[in-house]
Amino acid sequence: MLRKFFIETGRYFLFLGMVFKKPEKWRIFWKQFILEADKLIVSSVVLVSVISVFIGGVLVIQTASNMNNPFLDRMLVGYMVRESLILEFCSTMVALILAGKVGSNIASELGSMRITDQIDAIEMMGVNSASFLVLPKVLSVTLLSPLLVLLSFCLGLFGGWVVVAVTSIIPVAKYFTGLKYFFSEFYVFYSCVKMSIFCFMIASIAAYKGYYAHGGALGVGRSSTKSIVVSCILILMFDLIITQLMLY
Amino acid sequence: MIKIEHLDKSFGDLHVLNDISIEYRQGLCNMIIGASGSGKTVLLKTIIGLLKPDGGTVTFNGQNISELPYEEMKRFRQHIGVLFQNSALFDFATVIENVMFPMDFFTDWSRKEKIRRAEYCLERVNVQGNEKKYPGELSGGMQKRVGIARAIALNPKYLICDEPNSGLDPETSILIDRLIYGLTKEFGMTTIINTHDMNSILEIGDNIGFLHQGRMLWQGDRKTIFDTDCEELRTFVCANSLARNIMERKHL
Repeated sequence: MLRKFFIETGRYFLFLGMVFKKPEKWRIFWKQFILEADKLIVSSVVLVSVISVFIGGVLVIQTASNMNNPFLDRMLVGYMVRESLILEFCSTMVALILAGKVGSNIASELGSMRITDQIDAIEMMGVNSASFLVLPKVLSVTLLSPLLVLLSFCLGLFGGWVVVAVTSIIPVAKYFTGLKYFFSEFYVFYSCVKMSIFCFMIASIAAYKGYYAHGGALGVGRSSTKSIVVSCILILMFDLIITQLMLY
Repeated sequence: MIKIEHLDKSFGDLHVLNDISIEYRQGLCNMIIGASGSGKTVLLKTIIGLLKPDGGTVTFNGQNISELPYEEMKRFRQHIGVLFQNSALFDFATVIENVMFPMDFFTDWSRKEKIRRAEYCLERVNVQGNEKKYPGELSGGMQKRVGIARAIALNPKYLICDEPNSGLDPETSILIDRLIYGLTKEFGMTTIINTHDMNSILEIGDNIGFLHQGRMLWQGDRKTIFDTDCEELRTFVCANSLARNIMERKHL
């Protein structure tokens, strides 16, 4: 099993070596980059938005219900919701969701292309198939995913505000005071960096699994599932490592 | 000319190709025939460099492609047009974009010139009027034709077809065969066709190699195939009733 792990890891890095080659034509690369950004990032906006709004609302209720102590200022609800969102939810939780959506999309697309000889057809034309197919995916997801963090953060806070305004669980003014209390821009940077690293892992692992898929439709499904499982585990491991490196 | 000498290929303990030697000449429809599992596709993929041989050489006009580094191999492949068994058209692109794909990468033509060339290729294979459709909207026969149009888009020196008739009705099969034959003669390409379709073999087989359990047992053409002494080839040929009748009449 250990041997298989090392073989797979080595093969993954060799694959990355093929992916990160200079594109054959930059014009084609940018065209693909925009298409992939639309397919992988823009199409995730609705999902991320819906989840963020609801999680923001739920966080307000849960935090408020656990802060009944009269010595604690109610504005701390806003403060804690903001910190929870930016430190963990907007990057790690959204990345786990994207591992399912984006990861399965990439792995199944490349897997289908592999089993129907489309990747061989690209290779036979003298084009580096790994670079042509994978590089735009990996770069668009890695570079643009911080925008999803910012969107998720804003909408999470908005969701919290809606709950506060509708239920009056805490005064709206207190909520806004809490949101502004001891705000650290570094946390936003930290969250964006985490998201970029997570998304690089999601896209590259899914692409690797899909690119080397075999065994027909069943193999494509298997590669898609494996890519999600591996990505999720690595996201949680790297969450710990990055947090230790950047916050402590 | 494509020359194969003492080619070996194994997957683990399974010896798929054993000491294959054969020559494929320019301007001819060269065929690799044999039953399913005889190693035809592996031979074809080894010839075009998608699989690395364990031993032996494949030379294209004197150039040994088994030894070419990746970058040179990439450049060399621009001279090879390949029609895959299931056409392998790109799902993400329309018919005309599929045909223009190699031009986008390897020519500096203007968009107008590329469209003109793609339309010519599509016209040549009789699928004009479907430029804006996606591969999923085409029939199997039309997909094959678009695959051929894409394969000849850059005027290749070599045309490699993996089971071009699989999944097609007899009428469409003959049309595809004649199309490949016509293009081979017109452009003077070295064409290799991998098939087990007897009708195709009898229709366009200029130079035929019979592969059985990874060994090249016989080489000839469509006229001499019925005079063979090779028992395995006779069994293969006689599995087709039309060919069996011809053979029986010949030996009466």
